[in-house]
Amino acid sequence: MMASQERVDAPWQQIRAQLPQFERADIVVGFPSFNNAETVKPVIEAVLAGLRQVCPDASVLLVNQDAGSQDGTPELVKGAVEGRMSVALLHRAARTATGMESRLSGAWPSGREEAFHSFLSATKESGATACAVIDPAVRSVTPDWMTWLLSPIMESRAEYVAPVFLRPRYEGSLTNMLVYPLNRALYGSAMRYHAGGGCGMSGRLADFYLAQRFWDERAVRSTMDICLTTVAIAEDRSLCEAGLGEKLIQSPAGGDDVSSVVAQTVGAVFYFMERYQDVWEHRAQAQPVLHTGLSYRPQPDRGPINIDRMMRGFRQGLRDLLPIWEIILSPETLSGILPLALIEKDEFRFPPQLWAQTVYDFALAYHEKVLHREHLLKSLTPLYLGQMASLVLRTQEQKPEDVEVCIEELCDTFARMKPYLVERWRFS
Amino acid sequence: MKEMWEDAMLEAFHETSRRLGLFLPKLLALITFLVLGVVVGWLVKMLLMRVLSAVRFDAFCERMGLMPALARAGVVQPASSLIGRLGFWTVFLVFTLMGIDALSLPATANLMGVLLEFLPNLLASAFLLLCGILLGNFLGEAALIAAVNAQIQEARLIAHFVRWGLYLFTGAMVLTQLGIAKEIVVAAFCIMFGGIVLALAIAVGLGGRNIARDKLERRLHRRRTEEDELTHI
Repeated sequence: MMASQERVDAPWQQIRAQLPQFERADIVVGFPSFNNAETVKPVIEAVLAGLRQVCPDASVLLVNQDAGSQDGTPELVKGAVEGRMSVALLHRAARTATGMESRLSGAWPSGREEAFHSFLSATKESGATACAVIDPAVRSVTPDWMTWLLSPIMESRAEYVAPVFLRPRYEGSLTNMLVYPLNRALYGSAMRYHAGGGCGMSGRLADFYLAQRFWDERAVRSTMDICLTTVAIAEDRSLCEAGLGEKLIQSPAGGDDVSSVVAQTVGAVFYFMERYQDVWEHRAQAQPVLHTGLSYRPQPDRGPINIDRMMRGFRQGLRDLLPIWEIILSPETLSGILPLALIEKDEFRFPPQLWAQTVYDFALAYHEKVLHREHLLKSLTPLYLGQMASLVLRTQEQKPEDVEVCIEELCDTFARMKPYLVERWRFS
Repeated sequence: MKEMWEDAMLEAFHETSRRLGLFLPKLLALITFLVLGVVVGWLVKMLLMRVLSAVRFDAFCERMGLMPALARAGVVQPASSLIGRLGFWTVFLVFTLMGIDALSLPATANLMGVLLEFLPNLLASAFLLLCGILLGNFLGEAALIAAVNAQIQEARLIAHFVRWGLYLFTGAMVLTQLGIAKEIVVAAFCIMFGGIVLALAIAVGLGGRNIARDKLERRLHRRRTEEDELTHI
């Protein structure tokens, strides 16, 4: 408890050392940066313009936590603000700078949870009513982002505002095919779980987050967006989705190891399943989420999709990981998956019901610890590739909106099969 | 004559009685030790099983791949039960040796001392063996999953190499610990391990040049073309 309080105090002490006259803020804007010299100036301009729109008279504190930029990003942040609001520059503590953690949301550096913790601490200590976190690597930030992220909080319509981006139909497929349907079935909220870019929360919710014990959990490190959104939903806080338009990243994250992304993301979802068992067991029908900003609709593809690679991954998994899947999956799930190896590519389909059952079996195996958890989560990757290949094969000749129909179908299937999970979870 | 016969008879009787008098308490001690061995062994077994069950040792062994490995060798009992039985037989053996020692037979003199001297080595070897099997299974499984996810066609071969490499290393360590043909084991291990590394080096150096070049080219090419590849979250 003492360590936790010290952790909350430390960023605030740094801020007070830099801004001795500073007492309190109405709004805190968090800026987690890492080598963003290219984009930081236009983003700051957009943020300042947005703040003038949404709350012209508010006292604003901008907190930049830098993860060790080599291109002078923090100095550029300070220069771009030009004294128009209070700025504090925090540097990441060296003890956690391993550089080994995978970056899950494009340009975010590792140690993102530490940056979020600092922003929330600053919000709490400055008595701010709202906090917005903006990713300086996103080239497409506009002044409207601040309005959409902060207005619902300032008007007391929501405590947490999550982003929704206009993105190509197959982008974020792990979110669309696993995180979104599973969490929607579990917690009864139709939040889309788009990650990175920006988010907003009330000062009260920031206080609540700081008091939680997930900050040091390895399972939720690098997945802060999923973590904050899930906690807000499970704790029944009022939510809002902000349609922010396109998310164009300074340096796209292409080439990330898929299995690490799967393990970290799905691991975070399963971690909260264990923590909020008593909540999701009793939640049923999915409730719509308040929406602000641009309406969501899937966009056309930006480039070709490599289906062969996905199919190869799935088939190799079936060939080589069968002994591991035999431990994780129930016999009926496995007997549904095995025949898929014999189907020709053009006719290949991974039925939604089988996918839902597979995900539920993995959640149960995670809960029962039948295998080392990292091995278990990573062994889901070939099955995920199979499901993704199936979705692309089914919809590639159709309109982008048809992908949404498939995702809705998946959500309904996950919800319909929830009793399968609940029943087995109770007796595990 | 009659007196001599009576003396001989009495002497033999007294001698036998004296010897029996000396041996019977020792036999009784042996029986007591055996009974105590069964009772204490059973208590130790129960205690071990209770403790291992409380710390979910069976689930741990399942996770680490020990149980599937034992199942492949025809052992289907839970790990806690196996260790419980091992505990029972160890205690029983110790009590049996104490009983045999109590008999003071010339053939078994110092048996207890010799065995007790060897016991630490035996326990250390058993511990090494268990750790080696667990680590071999764990790393073999990790290598298999990583190789499959990297879509390397020889994934199972790589996993077998990792697993059996560790088993080999463990076997050599166990034999060295037990002091069985120490020099031969060390020499054999060095020759075998060095041979494998040399073979791999030659194979990669001579046969794999083109593959390595192709892989590098493909990797660099992929870096360029995959800039627009999908993000998953």
